[in-house]
Amino acid sequence: MNFQIPIGPQHPALKEPIGLRITVEGEIIRDADIRLGYNHRGIEKLAEQKTWIQNVYLTERICGICSHSHTTCYVQGVEKLMELETPKRGLYIRMLISELERIHSHLLWLGVAGHEAGFDSFFMYVWRDREIVMDILETISGNRVHYAINTIGGVRRDLDELQVKRILDSLEVLRRRSQYYLNLGTTEPSFVARLARVGYLSREDALSLCAVGPTLRASGVPMDVRKDDPYAAYDEVPFEVCTAGTCDVLGRTVVRIKELFQSYNIIEYLMKNLPTGPIAVRAPRRAKPNEVVSRYEAPRGENLHYIKSNGSDKPERLKVRAPTLGNYAATIKMLKNGFIADVPLIFAAIDPCICCAERAVALIDARTGQEKIMSLKSLKELSLKVSPTTTRKREIEWPL
Amino acid sequence: MNDQFLIDKARENLKEKIVEITNPARRRIFLEVGLDDLLASVSWLKNDLGFTHLSTISGVDLGETFEVIYHFANNYCCLNIRVKIPRDNPLLPSICELIPGAILYEREIKEMFGLTVQNIPDGRPLLLPDDWPAGNYPLRKDWKYERPPEVIPGGEK
Repeated sequence: MNFQIPIGPQHPALKEPIGLRITVEGEIIRDADIRLGYNHRGIEKLAEQKTWIQNVYLTERICGICSHSHTTCYVQGVEKLMELETPKRGLYIRMLISELERIHSHLLWLGVAGHEAGFDSFFMYVWRDREIVMDILETISGNRVHYAINTIGGVRRDLDELQVKRILDSLEVLRRRSQYYLNLGTTEPSFVARLARVGYLSREDALSLCAVGPTLRASGVPMDVRKDDPYAAYDEVPFEVCTAGTCDVLGRTVVRIKELFQSYNIIEYLMKNLPTGPIAVRAPRRAKPNEVVSRYEAPRGENLHYIKSNGSDKPERLKVRAPTLGNYAATIKMLKNGFIADVPLIFAAIDPCICCAERAVALIDARTGQEKIMSLKSLKELSLKVSPTTTRKREIEWPL
Repeated sequence: MNDQFLIDKARENLKEKIVEITNPARRRIFLEVGLDDLLASVSWLKNDLGFTHLSTISGVDLGETFEVIYHFANNYCCLNIRVKIPRDNPLLPSICELIPGAILYEREIKEMFGLTVQNIPDGRPLLLPDDWPAGNYPLRKDWKYERPPEVIPGGEK
């Protein structure tokens, strides 16, 4: 007996609302289908009608959690089009914000993963420590979410001595706490047992489905735009690309925790070697006809902007590829032949937002077409109950 | 593997299939090929050079023609294959056989520019709503959004 379960598309915290239709047989997911566009905002079309500088603020609003990723990707592309030389200090501040953003995004994700795995004290600890990063971001930029620090030709706010000292001091706390999470996340038996072998994505599948970011790196592929295609001043900063070979949610957790330590090292290097000088140069209003491909390593993976100029003060074309879109094809693969109780966890493993809140899920009986609405929580409970007619978990062949 | 090596390799293997090859910046190569040679070029790129990661597919409306750019990347370089498609006969072969991860990007470009992607494994709409009027392709330059007149239910006629 097959059931089709539609999930989504509406979810207030998700930057790209997504409609999923999952076909299940007993507890096993046999097929998953995806439908995007519930909240398609037409930003690419809108960008063609705005000036270069207006588009900085438009691209910032593509995403809430990685708002800096999109502006940096856009701005460094436009700087190439306008042939601007960004001052070193501006680049360092830009990198500082992007690493802080990576830390807060990874900590947020780690908390959500803990919550989805039923480890709520982990979630609360991690989110408490995330506030340290949010406070630093607020002192630097004045905002917690949309930092608005980038401008064409540099950054808008400078750092002073006191801020540098404060950032270095809080790194110590963050390092200590992250070490604790690393120990806990990789040795706590019930947590590890919940994450291991869930959402398996082999190295070959990850490559052929063009997965990006920690999802790709957890399948053992060392691809990181910061290393492969260094933008800003990443070629000056020593750091390592973190990978894991387990290809599952546990691997994705380990990769993200390891990346936290790399980000702390990067920030320490940036703060200790902060160059002096101006933070921005004046940008022209127009760009010569040209085209540029700008790549950026966002917390969730490779972010790509293709920008084409036509000599006017507006872009001819701005193409945005956010990292989550690159991971959807791989997510379908991960869901197939997994258990329905793992859906929230597998989704949480690519995107931190989808499982933040309770959602309504409509169950359609495939034979009668009758729908009933139930919350994700009761769905979870239902999936745990083994009715006499469904396949028992211990009797079937392990689908992975 | 550096830019010059890739350009030499491309000249050696693709020969007359190349319409233009440029290297505007470090780690950026733009390779223009004819539409009929697209699959051969992608296949060469994947099998001989190991470019398995397709970052995305961009489309640009140039008026008489559409330009479609396939952004490939590996650990050394970002290589972009460009093809031009006539506006009056917008046919594009699907590369999903070679790169399965291209499916979402092909579906996107199909509905945004109104290109017909041949042999696409799954051609359903992806982004636009189910009741989207046929023949409207938002990212074409001649498409303008017109806000439908506001009707207040039960309001004055």
